[in-house]
Amino acid sequence: MTTNAQNTQVPAKLYFEDVQIGDEIPKLVKEPMTHLRLVRYAGASGDFNPLHTDPKIGEMIGTGGIIAHGMLIMGFVGQLLSDYVGPLALRKFGVRFKGMTRLDDVITCTGTVTEKYEVDGEARIAGKVQAVDQNGDVKVAGTFVAALSRRG
Amino acid sequence: MFDKSKLGHSFAPFTIEVERCKIHELTLAIGDDNPIYHSRKAAEEADYKDVPLFPTAPTIFNFWGNTQLGSQLQSVGIELMRVLHGEEEYEYLAPIYPGDTLTGITTIAEGRSRQGRDGSSMDILTTETRYTNQHNRPVLNARTTIVVRG
Repeated sequence: MTTNAQNTQVPAKLYFEDVQIGDEIPKLVKEPMTHLRLVRYAGASGDFNPLHTDPKIGEMIGTGGIIAHGMLIMGFVGQLLSDYVGPLALRKFGVRFKGMTRLDDVITCTGTVTEKYEVDGEARIAGKVQAVDQNGDVKVAGTFVAALSRRG
Repeated sequence: MFDKSKLGHSFAPFTIEVERCKIHELTLAIGDDNPIYHSRKAAEEADYKDVPLFPTAPTIFNFWGNTQLGSQLQSVGIELMRVLHGEEEYEYLAPIYPGDTLTGITTIAEGRSRQGRDGSSMDILTTETRYTNQHNRPVLNARTTIVVRG
């Protein structure tokens, strides 16, 4: 069985043996950021900070208009990892927020496998992930650990 | 300015029931169209017991589960409009499914003040929320670092 992380119809079944250190996670390119997405994300997450939804507040506090929730960009990276290893494989996922995302920014998420090891009887991989905009500016950078099945 | 005597302080526990519809709503907002997040049937067909937890779904527990979050932070001297999110980290200890009832306890794990280059000072604060499920089993740890501009 080969893995097909692009296919979102079924969870990607990635086997430990099929992953090598240095492997790149299939990248995820998101649609340009819209105000509607931020309003929608506010409702879904419960983070109604007006910084993310009210353009007037953005002008007032000097961010120059509304900025996206950092957690929305982490969510994009979460989608990248969910497509790659599946949600239940994740053991750890952490990011640092490095830059503000504005309307019309196009976010691309990428990642690389940096480690393969065994712990507590689990075969695990670790890697780094990031989200950048159309200019290559880093918005989010982080790491993850996932437990994978072995073949057979 | 954040009150340093509050380091190690834990806020009152909160509980939240994990809901299928909220996971669906979050993934729609993020734009993840993987059907396992959208219906129980699709999740079961893909060999999940139920709709699985999306990797960043714990943010729902934080905001919708802990409705006191804002006033808790204010009670230790943090001005919400000055807060920027610095870091977020999840440690997934056991599967979480819709119908589970989680209890979260948030502790102020770390806090320090830093002098900016322009002389202004900012507080950097890390909270840790430990979640257990209805069987008292630890299921998730969430660490959040916020930066409060002076």
